[in-house]
Amino acid sequence: MFCFQCEQTTKTDTGAGCATAKGVCGKDEVTADLQDVLIYQLKGLGQYSARLHALGQPDAQADSFILYALFTTLTNVNFNRARFVEMIAEAARIRDRLRGAYEAVAKAAGQTPDVLHGPASFIPATDPTGLLAQANIASVRAGLDVVGADVIGLRALVLYGLKGVAAYAHHAEVLGETREAIAVGIAHALDFLASEPVDLEELLEESLALGRVNFTVMEALDAANTGTYGTPSPVAVRITPVAGKAILVSGHDMRDLEGVLEATKGTGINVYTHGEVLPAHSYPKLRAYAHLVGNYGGAWQNQQQEFAAFPGAIVMTSNCLVEPQALYRNRIFTAGPVGWPGIRHIGNGDFSQVVQAALAQPGFSVTEPEKTITVGFGRDAVLGVAGTVIDAVKSGAIKHFFLIGGCDGAAPGRNYYTEFAEAAPKDTVLLTLGCGKYRFNKEDFGDIGGIPRLLDMGQCNDSYSALVVAQALAKAFDCGVNDLPLSLVVSWFEQKAAAVFLTLLALGVRNVRLGPTLPAFLTPTLIDILVSRFGIQPITTAEADITAALNRKAA
Amino acid sequence: MPEITLLTRDGAHLEFACAQDENILDAAAAAGLFLPSMCREGSCGLCHAYVAEGAYEMGSFSKDALSDADQAGVLLCRCEPRSDLTVQLPYPQADIQRHEIISREAVIENLAPAGAGAMAVTLRYTPHESFGQAADFVPGQYMELAIPGTNIRRAYSMANLPNWDGRFEFLIRLQKNGAFSTYLAEQAKIGDMLITRGPLGQFVLDDASMRPRCLIGGGCGFAPVLSMLRHLADFQDTQPTHLIFGANREEELFAAGDIDSLRSALPQLGVTLAVWRPEAAWTGFTGTAADAFVQYLETSTQTPDVYVCGPPRLLEAVLAVAHERNIPPERIIAERVL
Repeated sequence: MFCFQCEQTTKTDTGAGCATAKGVCGKDEVTADLQDVLIYQLKGLGQYSARLHALGQPDAQADSFILYALFTTLTNVNFNRARFVEMIAEAARIRDRLRGAYEAVAKAAGQTPDVLHGPASFIPATDPTGLLAQANIASVRAGLDVVGADVIGLRALVLYGLKGVAAYAHHAEVLGETREAIAVGIAHALDFLASEPVDLEELLEESLALGRVNFTVMEALDAANTGTYGTPSPVAVRITPVAGKAILVSGHDMRDLEGVLEATKGTGINVYTHGEVLPAHSYPKLRAYAHLVGNYGGAWQNQQQEFAAFPGAIVMTSNCLVEPQALYRNRIFTAGPVGWPGIRHIGNGDFSQVVQAALAQPGFSVTEPEKTITVGFGRDAVLGVAGTVIDAVKSGAIKHFFLIGGCDGAAPGRNYYTEFAEAAPKDTVLLTLGCGKYRFNKEDFGDIGGIPRLLDMGQCNDSYSALVVAQALAKAFDCGVNDLPLSLVVSWFEQKAAAVFLTLLALGVRNVRLGPTLPAFLTPTLIDILVSRFGIQPITTAEADITAALNRKAA
Repeated sequence: MPEITLLTRDGAHLEFACAQDENILDAAAAAGLFLPSMCREGSCGLCHAYVAEGAYEMGSFSKDALSDADQAGVLLCRCEPRSDLTVQLPYPQADIQRHEIISREAVIENLAPAGAGAMAVTLRYTPHESFGQAADFVPGQYMELAIPGTNIRRAYSMANLPNWDGRFEFLIRLQKNGAFSTYLAEQAKIGDMLITRGPLGQFVLDDASMRPRCLIGGGCGFAPVLSMLRHLADFQDTQPTHLIFGANREEELFAAGDIDSLRSALPQLGVTLAVWRPEAAWTGFTGTAADAFVQYLETSTQTPDVYVCGPPRLLEAVLAVAHERNIPPERIIAERVL
């Protein structure tokens, strides 16, 4: 096993990466190695898919499988070894189908089909022992001694960014939004990785290309969410329990939440959001369900305590799952790409078992006094008051915007984000995205002339919304995004954040503060490139970074 | 042994003992206090706390989780006491899980002979507002059953799967002169109330293992093995799995119907019914469960995970075979039943 894809990866004096029997996230050696083999195969699928797209004969089912399979390998998604053995066999079948289709289509077009090597011709072993023996060629560090750490680091950046892109694209796809450009971009990146690229400039260019693909993905996901559930609008969300039987929906997936809401209609069961599902309340068609009563708990890393204390059933719909404890193993379910051995999985959208489990649990015995937090300041809500906001900026009432976006995690260094939000001057506005906000979103930040100082824009999945707002403000002020009184303070944890990060680079958004630590796969040389070319800045202290942002020279 | 005092943010004092070679997180868990933690290897930082007083040693950990500058900070999963310690926790008492073993009433829903002097007993939780109706356990675990108004208390493993109907199925071998056995044979009737306490026990499957599994049950030790096999069937497990059911005589091979349904649900399941002293007409394996285990190991290409539950003699014989064949101790999960 070797994995350094998330922020939490083991760091020692001799280097970074989880390389023992079990990673920090709980992923064991066997699962990690099987994931490597699967990713290697997906590169082979990409080799054929890219060519089929070029010939105008794509295989939509294969492209969909690629998204799903990549998603299962994100941090804290799927830990089920048996599932990876199945997917490896499936990937081999799909690859054979693509090869046949490609050769036929190329011949029909009067071309001689390319004979593809590497992942395209890889034959996976038929049993787990054989697969593990093959894992070395598929390791993210394969070829390190030949190509060096910089090339390995940029390949990792492309791969991890690609995983995030695929995860977001899968979210959009389950709600019916697909784009040819997305499938082409993803196949291209896989085909590119299959070629074992060694040129740093080419690798950087592919990273930026992927960032642009991700912008399209974010747009598609935004269209999927708003198209299906309506335009988000501000709403006060209850964060205290209501007496009665209960189901908690965690992860990110809105369609699964809708499935649970439908399955619980008329049962008397109350449904609560958890973690990144919180923004669901801002969608009119989801909050129309009266039994979607509130949010319970905070960010993903506290789930073992929160799930154990929750007196009902729990559904984990996407990242981020942590090892389920015995106390709630019999009442937690996974859905979509998520999995844990021995935990019940809902593969067909039928949540009746979840209802049964919830009814067998005691539920909340008392209704606690109501407390709320406000969410739902998506692009339409913010741009709806753009006039007021622009006036406030012009009058000097609002001096600066801080977009505090990204994931939360357990590391004590993440206190930086709480300190940042608390120390930001009263004439600044805090925009939040992702689950990092749970560190401070229950505090009262007040308002500026009626505009709340804390505006939550939604999930990490909603970064499109933030970019649209930034671009609209830039237009209103007749300047570039980098000239706005706006600073981005990003906390990253896993690969969805890597995808958004590439989009920021691709759009030329500079001066992003990145923390709590920089990705372990980036070498000092690569960090120098990101700093000098893209203006990426590691976080320092909240106070110093706020001062620096407020005193930034107008570029 | 050093005494540990935990001070929560809301001022609660929690005390327990911790050996010098044990970390505070594990010692707290042994005392029924489950502190926030995740990786348990010094990397994630979730078990970060402060030592207010006392001497300790830290095992290896990541600098991101605990920086050099953080002088009083510790990671409880890596912190071993060298004296009595007072530890300040950065969270309130409510964030500490206390896994209390629940005692509650259940009624006998079914009671029937299961062959070979065993009884199949089904209990169902009496509805209880604050507990709910789920029969929560991990396949392989057991419950303590007590007869109200007496001191009679015995532990029996569940044979069924965890469920949301509050149902527990047991296969109980009646012991001559046994107090609980006498109660079951002579007194118990459907509708009687018993007190349950549990679930308890560590005899559970390693779900994540990719190795073949060999499950060995003898006598009433078959009940938890049956629960485990039902779990594998429920999850459509595809790992090679072999069941060895050991009995002294043919008539002790109960639950034949259950084994047949498991065979159809788990097509890869191999079954050896081992009878030590069979009648002349017996065509199956003749010998003990341990003999059958030897035979199984000879045909198995890969070292399996071994799960064994049965009477002491069966257990010892199987463990001796495992030892001879150099099966690593961590691959063997054993539970003794009487």
